[in-house]
Amino acid sequence: MSVWGTVVGGLVGTFVLTTILRTASELRLTRMDLPFLLGTAVTSDRGRAKAIGYVLHFVAGVLFSLAYAIGFAALDRSGWLLGAAFGLIHGLFAGSALVNILLPIVHPRMGTPMSSIASTALLEPPGFMMLNYGRSTPVLSLASHIAYGAIVGGFASAVR
Amino acid sequence: MVASNDRLTSERPNRPQDRVDGFAPLRDYAAIGDGRTVALVARDGSIDWLTTPAIDSATVFGGLLDPGRGGSFELAPVGPFSVARRYLPGTAVLETTFVTDRGTVRVTDAMTVPADGLAPLRELVRRIDGLAGTIPMRWVVRPRFGYGAGSTRIERRGGVPVAHAGADALAVRSFDAGEPDLTMDAIAGRFEIEHGQSGLLAMSVAHQEPLIFVSRSEAEGRLAATIETWRRWSGALRTTDRWRDAVERSAIALKLLVYAPSGAVVAAPTTSLPEDIGGERNWDYRYCWIRDSAFTLDALLRLGRSSEADAFFWWLMQASQLTHPRLQVLYRIDGDPEARERVLDLRGYRGSLPVRVGNGAVDQVQHDIYGDLLETAWEYVRAGRRLDAEVGRRLAGAADHVTSIWRLPDAGIWEVRGDPRHYSHSKMMCWVALDRAVRLAEAGAIPDRSAAGWRNTRSQIEDFIWSRCWSDDKRSLVRSPGSDDLDAALLLGAHFGFDADGDRVSQTIDAVRRELKHGPFVYRYSGDDGLEGQEGAFLACSFWLVEALARRGSIEEAAELMEELVASSNDVGLYAEEIDPRSGEFLGNFPQGLTHLALLEAAFAFDEEAP
Repeated sequence: MSVWGTVVGGLVGTFVLTTILRTASELRLTRMDLPFLLGTAVTSDRGRAKAIGYVLHFVAGVLFSLAYAIGFAALDRSGWLLGAAFGLIHGLFAGSALVNILLPIVHPRMGTPMSSIASTALLEPPGFMMLNYGRSTPVLSLASHIAYGAIVGGFASAVR
Repeated sequence: MVASNDRLTSERPNRPQDRVDGFAPLRDYAAIGDGRTVALVARDGSIDWLTTPAIDSATVFGGLLDPGRGGSFELAPVGPFSVARRYLPGTAVLETTFVTDRGTVRVTDAMTVPADGLAPLRELVRRIDGLAGTIPMRWVVRPRFGYGAGSTRIERRGGVPVAHAGADALAVRSFDAGEPDLTMDAIAGRFEIEHGQSGLLAMSVAHQEPLIFVSRSEAEGRLAATIETWRRWSGALRTTDRWRDAVERSAIALKLLVYAPSGAVVAAPTTSLPEDIGGERNWDYRYCWIRDSAFTLDALLRLGRSSEADAFFWWLMQASQLTHPRLQVLYRIDGDPEARERVLDLRGYRGSLPVRVGNGAVDQVQHDIYGDLLETAWEYVRAGRRLDAEVGRRLAGAADHVTSIWRLPDAGIWEVRGDPRHYSHSKMMCWVALDRAVRLAEAGAIPDRSAAGWRNTRSQIEDFIWSRCWSDDKRSLVRSPGSDDLDAALLLGAHFGFDADGDRVSQTIDAVRRELKHGPFVYRYSGDDGLEGQEGAFLACSFWLVEALARRGSIEEAAELMEELVASSNDVGLYAEEIDPRSGEFLGNFPQGLTHLALLEAAFAFDEEAP
């Protein structure tokens, strides 16, 4: 298992994940836009938010790949299949807790179930498995995360 | 603590109308809310409507639609009483003063907002203040989760009365308001309150999380913070010179319909309140209609509420993304385009069946909404906001879509169920869509590649309207090409600047006034709509007539009509969708956003047009 391979896999995996979700958005299967969600945490300018969001998204992709590397090291094995399994867990965690619960709490412009007359949300919260962004979103999110994990795992084992 | 108020009430107390078979008149309700959900409080102190956790969730109190199965939270003196009510100024916190032969007591009702301390997911606070004498009081909480269909169980947890069903639960805490007594289906208490004493009932609600048992001091603190939050919000409003109170109350009513977690604005917080008592015209209005969007954004901007305006515009652009370039008539508050209709097993308000949740209009094709969308975008840009490139492309795509659909029949603004028809109002709004698209392109806000085509189609639509939708006999635009029916929606020609230089919209105003007006109230249309029964007069149309008169310069007549309509609100300044011109009885969902939006637009028109 190679840490550098994992990092490169993280970059490539994030590229593929982003492409899958962007394509799904253009096909009107989902309104989920992870770079947009991340970028609007920094600015309310929609154009700048997307640019900043892409940078943050790739940084997050690399950080997650390092977490994968820890998992590969702990199990003393790697590979695309194990990476895909990690991706499935990653996708479930992202949809159920990370983006559903944690992101609205720290995101200054996103609504939460506690938003009230005292505040004004600019972004609707994703909801469980990001279902608020379209019925196909959970499937697309899981598929793209599995693809990300498989790529990270594949690069981790392939790069020496 | 709530600020003391020596004035007992703003009106003379009178006895609430007797309930008919358990149903209070719709006029008797006041709305309280927190930006997430809304409760309706009757003049007799019963809360007969509350959905949790969101404004479009299932009810825990749905007695409004079925006093037996729906659930309610009663709080009133024991024995006969008279009532006077008001909202605390600048708030949606309700103050009900009960006058009995043994004394006077005041109840302050609020849905609170989070403040210091561990706040419940949702909280309903009812504070009781003894003002004179010693008054015996009683309260009964009958929780019925899931529109009364859930198996709600009541028991004590750590000594606190709790009701729960599935993922939902509520706890009732009583402070100096009697020891709670639990039965299979209710939590109840009795107590006496003397002059100078106060009690408090706090109901906390949980959904998919543990209940929070609130303390009195924290509940009182949240009540005070809620009043302060409302006053701060309303204090920043830009109101009009005339009808200031009605404008402020309508603004607060509109704010109650904003679902804060997403920024969406629902048409009303209720479902299936009938447009015809005992009839089938019962619809779920807990959705966001594109039709209302232009009025909503315009009203929010004029009121100086730019943060809500931005949030609403963002939500609208996000929600409409999945169906682009086609627009849906309505969207759920979370942006989901799904709103499948189903029927609940409830008695319905005074036997008005069916009780529907979901709204079948979601599957209708309505061409007018493209005009509303592009007008909304134009208002947004005109207020100095920028559209990003992606939104601009989508709006241009919507305008392109209009050029390909405007010749087709649709269901029209009034969502007539049955075969699609050609509606003059839909054609007019297609003209508005392209007119605003041209303006947006000229302002550089959206791509202008198709602008020449938009101009060309705009001219074709205008020619079509004047050649096919005008009746020389009626001296008016008519509801459909070739028909003799009138449509009050065509009054909006004055609002949107259609035929700005001609007088045919003015003649249409006269025709609507002549044929659809009954007293101060205006019916939506003449002719058949494919449904059984006769609905009431449509209050939004009545205010549209005021605006149309004001915009054509008939200021005095418009002002007289406005006075009559403002006086036709209920005792706390709220309106339903419709009114029975003979009895003054409210009909339809309540409080109705479109009615309050139309009131606001009428008041703004006076500011612009009056000398």
